[in-house]
Amino acid sequence: MTRDSKIFLIAAVAVLLAGLLAPHVLKNPFYFFAGYVILQYVVIATGWNILGGYAGYINFGAAGFFGAGAYASAFLFNTFGIPLLGGLVAACLIGALLGVLMGYLTLRIQGVYFAIATLGLVIILETIIHNIPALGGARGIVVYGPPPPAWAAGPSQYMFFLMLLIAVASVSLARWMQISWVGRGLRAVRASENAAECSGVPTLRLKLLACAASGAVLAAAGAPYPFYTSFVEPVTVFSLLIGLNAIAMPLIGGTRTWLGPVIGALLMASTQQIATITISSELNILFVGIVLIAFVALAPNGILGLVARRSRETPR
Amino acid sequence: MITRRNFNRLAAVAASSIAMPSVLAGRAFGQDTPIRFGASISLTGALSGTKNGQIGYELWRDDVNASGGLLGRQVELVLLDDQSSASNIPAIYSALADVEKCDVLFGPYGASLTAPVMPFIKQRDLFMIGMFPLAANEKARHDKFFHSAAWGPNSGTDWARGFFDLAKSVGVKRVAILANDLEFSKNAAVGGAKVAEEYSMEIVFNQSYPPNTSDFSSILRNISAANPDAVFVGSYPADSTAIIHGIREIGLPDSVQIFGGAMIGPQYGSLLSSLGPELNGVVNSHLFAPEPTMQTPEIKKFFDRYVPIAEKQGVDPLGYYVPPFYYVAGQLAAAAITGAGSLDQAAMAAWLHGNTVETIVGPAAFNDIGDWTKRRVLMVQIQNVKGNDLAQFREPGHQVILDPPELKSGEFIHPYNKARAS
Repeated sequence: MTRDSKIFLIAAVAVLLAGLLAPHVLKNPFYFFAGYVILQYVVIATGWNILGGYAGYINFGAAGFFGAGAYASAFLFNTFGIPLLGGLVAACLIGALLGVLMGYLTLRIQGVYFAIATLGLVIILETIIHNIPALGGARGIVVYGPPPPAWAAGPSQYMFFLMLLIAVASVSLARWMQISWVGRGLRAVRASENAAECSGVPTLRLKLLACAASGAVLAAAGAPYPFYTSFVEPVTVFSLLIGLNAIAMPLIGGTRTWLGPVIGALLMASTQQIATITISSELNILFVGIVLIAFVALAPNGILGLVARRSRETPR
Repeated sequence: MITRRNFNRLAAVAASSIAMPSVLAGRAFGQDTPIRFGASISLTGALSGTKNGQIGYELWRDDVNASGGLLGRQVELVLLDDQSSASNIPAIYSALADVEKCDVLFGPYGASLTAPVMPFIKQRDLFMIGMFPLAANEKARHDKFFHSAAWGPNSGTDWARGFFDLAKSVGVKRVAILANDLEFSKNAAVGGAKVAEEYSMEIVFNQSYPPNTSDFSSILRNISAANPDAVFVGSYPADSTAIIHGIREIGLPDSVQIFGGAMIGPQYGSLLSSLGPELNGVVNSHLFAPEPTMQTPEIKKFFDRYVPIAEKQGVDPLGYYVPPFYYVAGQLAAAAITGAGSLDQAAMAAWLHGNTVETIVGPAAFNDIGDWTKRRVLMVQIQNVKGNDLAQFREPGHQVILDPPELKSGEFIHPYNKARAS
């Protein structure tokens, strides 16, 4: 294990411990409700970045995977009584399968054509849900989850810790993919797919692997959602806003490494949560738009790219 | 090229967003004298058409404060925008209860936004007045939840029963049901189908359509081919407009006695004035109409003050559907607080379960899960509309109440094609 990996492991354990101890320090449940949403976006941004950042395939269909995960866990719990952890595993499998299917059908096209094809996935899934009465159709499904385990301080604290676990696992997966042979291959695909293919990089297999991993992580972000809101309906979970945030957050943080989406999501989702309870949401949306334009214009490689450039420019 | 100044500005944005929670926390723990009423409202997003409800809240607050407040304390509103998204609701209501320290909560608008808040108030055992959700408390069965809208008991099924009562009265045997693929209209369609079956009516057409449908010509032709006696429609404003335009072009067969039911849109001033005479004959649900059987000095006073504010804010200038019931929500909470003599949530709920409250829309009494004991959803028929002048809809005789019978203000014109020509 490298020195960086050891530091990452220690940091991950420290974050989990901090999350476990947080309810003893922060007594106000609001921080856990808001923290859940912020961590959910950390997972979404991380999941999106595996395909969109590492491989350079812009995926507008993040909400499709998120919604599929949400519906999988809600359906399994309401119909078969399968608890959230079981639903989470099932959501990951469904997300990975959807990712492979989407990839197999669409990876032969690139750029804007690929982006439009992924947007179609959201519309297809939403229409399917609308027309399946067993999944509640347009009326949605009410999910009254079981009470939290005894060790948890309350429902919001339990959901927060669970999302923290998912976030740490997702970021760990993204980091492993970045530093392993998979990441090297995906970087080659992003730089020049033809050159990578000529050099013996198995581009299709790598892209399918990235689709599967990205889909699984995005679906994992959606799995606890029905237990957080106690309700799931197609309009919200297949919302375009999820897809836009999934793209905006890595772009703001930086798409080249696992840390960029984490920084982008923490910054943007925190600001959005604060703005929701302090200022008009119209200004909130305006603020997100302005920040996004500012980063695209001033820092196209995100915060991490900006910091790296600053450090290169600083005379030693 | 990034200058140091730009970098510093970006850093300042990041730092201020990280520091904001401590600013909020500082405000949260302050103890204010006024009684704080918290609610989320949909200022933006798909449900932003209901934001005129805020005027109802504010008029109620002003009236209460002008009359000395409640329990000797002034009343303060804390309103947050939920952006019409269910995913924002848990954090918003936690912010209202835990950060803003609100004493009493009002629900968000509609069933899909109310569903996420039900477990929250049940776990915390909080008192809440719900804003327009259909059958919101049938699963949670929380004894401190009350509806401000007069949906009545078993609202999931019975909400549109008045439409089918009218259909039955004119001998309807064959019903067509058309609904938008969205929560409210789908609920209405499912409830309508149950009532139709109960009345031994044959459902000859039952179809839903995607929310963004704008061309209904083929659907209307299919409905005509089924030759129904009644057409029950669950739609939202944009598709309500498209359906009415479609009927103007394609028409419906003479067999149709009654058309409408659960169309959202013809309750609002903008749609009434834009469609004008095209709406003649439509029988649709409503909660208030300016008919002699519903007019009281209290409701007149409410609208006399609502209209200038609404015109200034650019929201629905009629305001018959949503705003009075936001005022009613305040009245119900105020009655519960005054009756209980405290802000004790259990005592407030117990008082409201045991007493009838006189509101600006009439007396309200509640069953064990907070439904109004008596359904008072109106079925109004739009009649005698000439031109597109909005002022005519403030006069009686244009939104004639047909059901419930005790509020009936005019005669049902049928079949639909005859009523359209009226």
